[in-house]
Amino acid sequence: MRAIPFLVSAAVVAVAGAATHLLSRFMPLPHVSVVFLAAVVASAILWGFWPSVFAAVLSVGVSSFFFYSPIFSFQVADLRDIADLVVFVVVAAWTSRLAANLREQSLLARRRREVVERLLAFSERVAGASGEEEVRAAIREYGGAGTDLEYETAFQVHAAIALERARLRREVNEARLRAQGEALREALLNSVSHDLRTPLATILGAATTLEGLGEATSPAVRRELAASLRQEAERLASYIENVLDLTRIRAGQIAPRLELVELSDIVNAALLRKQRALAAHRVEVSLPADLPMLRLDLFLMEQALANVLDNAAKYAPAGSAVSVEVARVGAEVRLRVSDEGPGMEAAELPHAFEPFFRGAGGAGRTASGSGLGLAICRAFVEANGGRVSLAGREGARGAVLEMYLPVPEGEADTMEVADDD
Amino acid sequence: MTEVGARVLVVDDEPQIRRFLRLGLEGHGYEVLEATDAREGLRMAVARQPELLILDLGLPDRDGLDVLAELRGWSTIPVLVLSARGREAEKVRAFDLGADDYVVKPFGMAELLARVKAALRRRRAGAATEPVFRVGGLEVDLGRRAVLVDGAPVRLSPKQYRLLQALVAHAGKVLTHGQLLNEVWGPAHREDIQYLRVFVRKLRARLEADPARPRYLLTELGVGYRLCAPDQFDTLH
Repeated sequence: MRAIPFLVSAAVVAVAGAATHLLSRFMPLPHVSVVFLAAVVASAILWGFWPSVFAAVLSVGVSSFFFYSPIFSFQVADLRDIADLVVFVVVAAWTSRLAANLREQSLLARRRREVVERLLAFSERVAGASGEEEVRAAIREYGGAGTDLEYETAFQVHAAIALERARLRREVNEARLRAQGEALREALLNSVSHDLRTPLATILGAATTLEGLGEATSPAVRRELAASLRQEAERLASYIENVLDLTRIRAGQIAPRLELVELSDIVNAALLRKQRALAAHRVEVSLPADLPMLRLDLFLMEQALANVLDNAAKYAPAGSAVSVEVARVGAEVRLRVSDEGPGMEAAELPHAFEPFFRGAGGAGRTASGSGLGLAICRAFVEANGGRVSLAGREGARGAVLEMYLPVPEGEADTMEVADDD
Repeated sequence: MTEVGARVLVVDDEPQIRRFLRLGLEGHGYEVLEATDAREGLRMAVARQPELLILDLGLPDRDGLDVLAELRGWSTIPVLVLSARGREAEKVRAFDLGADDYVVKPFGMAELLARVKAALRRRRAGAATEPVFRVGGLEVDLGRRAVLVDGAPVRLSPKQYRLLQALVAHAGKVLTHGQLLNEVWGPAHREDIQYLRVFVRKLRARLEADPARPRYLLTELGVGYRLCAPDQFDTLH
């Protein structure tokens, strides 16, 4: 392949020779070397230094053989022709050098552009990468071609920087999660010390009062003490369940067992479990009979709803209405629980689902919430592929919690059960 | 007709739980026997012939479910199982092994007493099967294979009737998905829970005034179904 530039150079010189021959028929050409010079320069630009030197040597041979007298001999008789040839050789050598340099520079510039473009493409890929794995994939794709030393050097620097950046990003993320975890642990500790001690103090107090007073207490007082024992023990039990649920969520141990179920079964079970807590409220239930079956984890969903009902029971005043409405809305089923309690202030709503967040307004402070119910509710609903939102009631006091649960695709088929043999 | 005076065996290793169960049950007229582990429990179940067993699943020497399985080898005594929350699979297994009812710790005495009473009553009523079962407005005439809702006859397919019949035979008791599937469709279909759910939806549509808020055919979440017993109907509705 390396012979081609020389062969083509020879051809160009031959063409130049032929052209000189043709031209000399029509007009006298005292300095034929000018035409050959054009051939040498062309060869230098196209193929570089050595092919052009070859073209120059060839040109000297051809012109002395064909054009300088004595013709058909390499001898050159005329002194002027000798001078002409000498000047030709000097000029040809010089222009060859210049033209070849020019060519190399343009080649270099083109290669540089390619390198820069490739590095740029690599940088863009890396900038869009979300983790170290993707950065490594980009490095495998763009590097290691072994094409160009310059590229390889620049690439390695870029790749090292990209990896370092990805590592830093991960570390920052981990640090943030750790900080969140620590904040949560602290909140949990505060909560445990308060939410465990208060009911325990009441239980111990009521029990020792019963023990100490013995026969002296009236049946009414005994009943009251027993009631407060029961209430505080129940509060303690539900608090411990919540903390356990939260711990499971934080440990990533929520593995929903999704199966096609009746949402009404879940709603009825939660209402039954919270029957006593809601005994003083007017509970209104609206459950259409033609709901599609949903793909849910029975127990996670029941717990999510029970927590919401618990909140309503805790914060909404006795005698007020707590309503549970279920309706199909497009490709989802909406479960809405609304109460006539103090609700939350607009500024608090975005935080309502954060663990240990308790509304500051109204009865929020005085009631015995741990601030875990809604956080658990959201985590459980999301584990079931749904979403939750909390809002105020329009034009009235109260809170409205909505869960949106996806209707599984092809739900119509689930009703196709052969009725009988 | 009274359950008072019945002999109840409590098998639980926690002395405080045994203490409050004894006080509560004796206060309501029951005779209470206590066992602290599986071995003693099984021995007393043979020697003292109790009428009901309250069995904690977390025993020190053996799994409570094993004890239940062994007991069912030779006894049909009603068994009320006690266990912690969050053990749904255990609950299903307990019912499949023949437990009569299940109470989740922590529980209140009122709830436990109601279940003890119901289990004993089912036990005593079990022998004499009445030809006509009635709860609320639902009437199932087992002799004539006729079903009436609020006095109006309801047409059921043979499979639907068989499902209802199975529930009537154990009215008030939870039947697991597996038990019902086995009874109506045979042992090859024990796993088709989804099929059963759809089937129950259809049966409810025929029997219940509001199928989304059933009063007769009740769901035991994740476990199975229960037909409301006549004596439970008034307290529930």
